[in-house]
Amino acid sequence: MRKRLLAAGLAAFFLSSAASAQTLNVATAGDQNMVDYIKDYLGPLFEKSHPGVKVVAVGTGPGDGGSQKIFEKLDAQKQAAAASDFDVVVIHQKAAGTMVQGDLLKKYRDSLPTGKLVTRDTATNSLGTDVSGYVMPMFHSQTAIAYNPDLIKSPPNNYAELREWVKKNPKQFGYNGIKGGMSGVAFVTGWISAFGGDPAKLEKGPYDAATKASWDKAMADLKEFNQNVVITPGNAGTLDMLNRGEIAMGPVWVDMFYTWKADGKLPPNMRLKLVSPGMPGQPMYYAIPSKTAQEKLAAEFIALATSPDVQAEGIVKRFNWYPGIDAKNLEGKLDQAAWNQLFADIPPDTLATNGKAFPIGPYFNDILETYEKKVAN
Amino acid sequence: MAKPSLLGLLLVAPALAMIGALFLYPLGFSLAAAFTEPGRGLSLAHFQKAYELYSTDILFTLFIVVVSTLLTALVSIAIAGILTLGETPWLVAALRALYRWPLFIPFIVAAQCMRTFLAKNGLMNNSFVALGLMEPLQATSLLDWRGIIITFVWKQVPFVTLMLAGAMASIDRATIEAGRNLGASRIRVLVELVLPQVAQTLLVGLVLSFVTMLSVLSVPMMVAGSQPTMLTVDMAFRINSYGDYATANALGVISYAIAGTVAWIYLRHSVKREVQA
Repeated sequence: MRKRLLAAGLAAFFLSSAASAQTLNVATAGDQNMVDYIKDYLGPLFEKSHPGVKVVAVGTGPGDGGSQKIFEKLDAQKQAAAASDFDVVVIHQKAAGTMVQGDLLKKYRDSLPTGKLVTRDTATNSLGTDVSGYVMPMFHSQTAIAYNPDLIKSPPNNYAELREWVKKNPKQFGYNGIKGGMSGVAFVTGWISAFGGDPAKLEKGPYDAATKASWDKAMADLKEFNQNVVITPGNAGTLDMLNRGEIAMGPVWVDMFYTWKADGKLPPNMRLKLVSPGMPGQPMYYAIPSKTAQEKLAAEFIALATSPDVQAEGIVKRFNWYPGIDAKNLEGKLDQAAWNQLFADIPPDTLATNGKAFPIGPYFNDILETYEKKVAN
Repeated sequence: MAKPSLLGLLLVAPALAMIGALFLYPLGFSLAAAFTEPGRGLSLAHFQKAYELYSTDILFTLFIVVVSTLLTALVSIAIAGILTLGETPWLVAALRALYRWPLFIPFIVAAQCMRTFLAKNGLMNNSFVALGLMEPLQATSLLDWRGIIITFVWKQVPFVTLMLAGAMASIDRATIEAGRNLGASRIRVLVELVLPQVAQTLLVGLVLSFVTMLSVLSVPMMVAGSQPTMLTVDMAFRINSYGDYATANALGVISYAIAGTVAWIYLRHSVKREVQA
């Protein structure tokens, strides 16, 4: 009896180790939808074209915190000179820069067949760090102001008009501060771009620690502005309150907005407005850890994930994200309706002028910290 | 006192090792990280930063936890009192069947329920409007500090009540009967005869609730907006957004200090009682 058990255990051990040689581990930061995307769509697609390979998706959590966890694990494995157990990672911008500087990623994009389909500068510049070759954008996401057209006939066109509007309509605008998710952070960085001086410098650098002092007026105004707004609990909280008619306007992620609308969690008449001088958006990146044992397989996985077909079907149609590769490669892959929906409220030229990048890392941290000090405390 | 035997020591060794490895070591580590700065030795810089950024939140946390503890005490005394002294059988039976339920619901689920229950157009206000108790325009959202307190009290009352009702059930019924026979009202019996006998249990329950509420992350995060918010949210934000463990540890030490103060009050109280006894 015991011998048989032992034999069974051994067999299981060998089977599992044989299987693990063919396992591709994909770690993704971001919400559960990212994990589901890989588990339910991308993984099976890749397994079909690569028999014997199993794709395992691990989620590390939403926001920059999720990317931070991936960074900490790769960094610890590097310190210990151990092989990485992640083969593909999906990360945010802030962590991508840190990971490239820390030598934790492979320079793989130039050998990727889809590598040249990328045109946006987020593929080379991540919040001020040169990441060319190390990352491949998975999608681009954008924040904008969602509003209820039943309550607001002519939505504000820029931050200054928004400020006036909020003064006249107290508690009708809601956002999630900076601790409840990135749409609130996006709104605050947009505010600093609008009222805090030189927006180009925030995105392109060079970093000058003294710039912080020039935001005092803008932050004091924001504190006053906050007196008349509702601080919501998170991105979903803002959408929830819009849905229940408790607020009339609030910044949200475009993809989440459309997904909620498609699921019937938001009234169909809700609309979006990308106010000037602009609000930030961000890509998420595919990258390959420098210590992975399965570089070739990982690169093939990313090539599939960034191919025009998958970008059209998986990224645009399923998630209402803007594609990671240049949109013109998707022509003919998408029906007109799906395409129009994505650009219905934010036409391509508005996106080009008002779709901004987040500020470079050090400014980004400065903005958050100054907000905590001057506005929240 | 008996001499500790080697065998006894061996028996507790695994438990002690667990406490050492999983509690004392991380505790010491976070204390050290909060009070030192790499390359500079001892420093209070992290506390200064914690104060600069989060002084409002520290006060807010104290306010929430103290008010919640007091309300928990009031409601638990009321429920336990009815269970012990109640003379309406159906009310006692219903309460006895119902009051424990929140004990089995995790904080995160409670928070999610409250999010839809307490919202401006949520279940509670809609019910009031449907019952004609309130005009729709009067509805206000309770999803702020009030929401946190309501969730905490709702979650902690059964815990304290459970302990309190148990203690009340085990006191000598003769004192209660005597009080009633001499014409004291039930409230007077509760306050003057029953409560003093179970004060110790009540205090234990409240101290444990206080520490539990101090350490909950999900409720302040989900129920209320982030300005102001509780220290747990700030700690999570510090780590997730900046990878800044030092300031998070400093905030942790401030939490320890708050919890420690309450534990100290409790210990002092119980030592005094033991001396009197």
